Amino acid sequence: MSADSITLSIPNAKPFHGVARLVVGGLAARLDLSYEHLEDLQLALASVLERDGYVAGQEVTVRLVVGSDSVGMAIGPLDPAELRADLEREPADGISLSRLLSTLVDEISLEDIDGGHWLHFEKRVPMTRPEPRGPP
Amino acid sequence: MTTAGGKTDRELLRRYHENGDLEARERLIEQYLPLVRSLARRYANRGEQLEDLVQVGSIGLIKAIDRFDVGRGVELTTYATPNIIGEIKRHFRDKGWSIRVPRGLQELNVRLSQLLEQLTIELERSPTIAELAKAAGVSEEEVLEALESGQAYTTVSLSAPAGQGEDGELDPLESLGELEHEYEVSEDRAVLAPGLEVLDERERRIIYLRFWEGLTQSQIAEQVGISQMHVSRLIRRSLEKVREEIASGQKAS
Repeated sequence: MSADSITLSIPNAKPFHGVARLVVGGLAARLDLSYEHLEDLQLALASVLERDGYVAGQEVTVRLVVGSDSVGMAIGPLDPAELRADLEREPADGISLSRLLSTLVDEISLEDIDGGHWLHFEKRVPMTRPEPRGPP
Repeated sequence: MTTAGGKTDRELLRRYHENGDLEARERLIEQYLPLVRSLARRYANRGEQLEDLVQVGSIGLIKAIDRFDVGRGVELTTYATPNIIGEIKRHFRDKGWSIRVPRGLQELNVRLSQLLEQLTIELERSPTIAELAKAAGVSEEEVLEALESGQAYTTVSLSAPAGQGEDGELDPLESLGELEHEYEVSEDRAVLAPGLEVLDERERRIIYLRFWEGLTQSQIAEQVGISQMHVSRLIRRSLEKVREEIASGQKAS
């Protein structure tokens, strides 16, 4: 694992979604992100994890990657059929996944990795705490 | 206040506190029950029976009588009123937590809501977790834990028009009342958008401001006149309702 990434695999069950939210919170604290940026990342995560039918199996993996001016999040493996339809839906068509994510994050893509489909998004954030704290 | 027998509260309090006279305590409780009932009535019609709130408020009254310091020149009414209200508000707050969340975390969650407001104004931006932790005098992990515990707070009781606490505390039960008057029909697009019909008017307004107008949570909080954390809870709850609606529609078809 790279020092700039965190990978978390959890059972695809609501009680475990809180674990993923806490990990995102921990990273946000580490990067000194604002409360609002944290909220956006957690809502984006919830909009995928907590929607019935997106996650393909009984386990889901969340990968967080810290960029120079962004936080990336990849969630998978996902069932592409419904997810793709929701992502392609016009934002005018109600509170769709595309409307949510386009408000909360900056770049969204659906990627095919090792035969599984992963939703990847990036949120640009100001980085104000670049140095690691405590012992390496 | 003077009792029917001509004995003052102070005499009864002295008899109870100095001589352990339980009959005097009983008489004080009976004497002040109309005050409890009057205060409980303010909080009725929020999903709780008046009689239940009177029971809860009575606990506050009994605590006030038991803790009253006879040596201080304060009237029992003055001392008991915030105790009774506090007990009723605590009852609503505890009922709002859908799972067991330790009282300490509940209180930190409420405190963070206040600090979020203060710091957003002071810094003119959304504070970081570290800034919230420093202001609250707790660790960053405790802040995250308290924020996460807020997920367990249902918005069912948030619809109750309690407003800001009388002690200045930003109550999680704060009101959205004023919002309804400001609602504009011109936002029909959001009102009619698929999936949103499951939301009430206030939720639709907040969702519209966030996802159609692109306002941040703090901007919505300012515009609507509620705390940012309350906006956050309402957004999460609204999206959850929409997801549940979509899921039930899928199951039905």
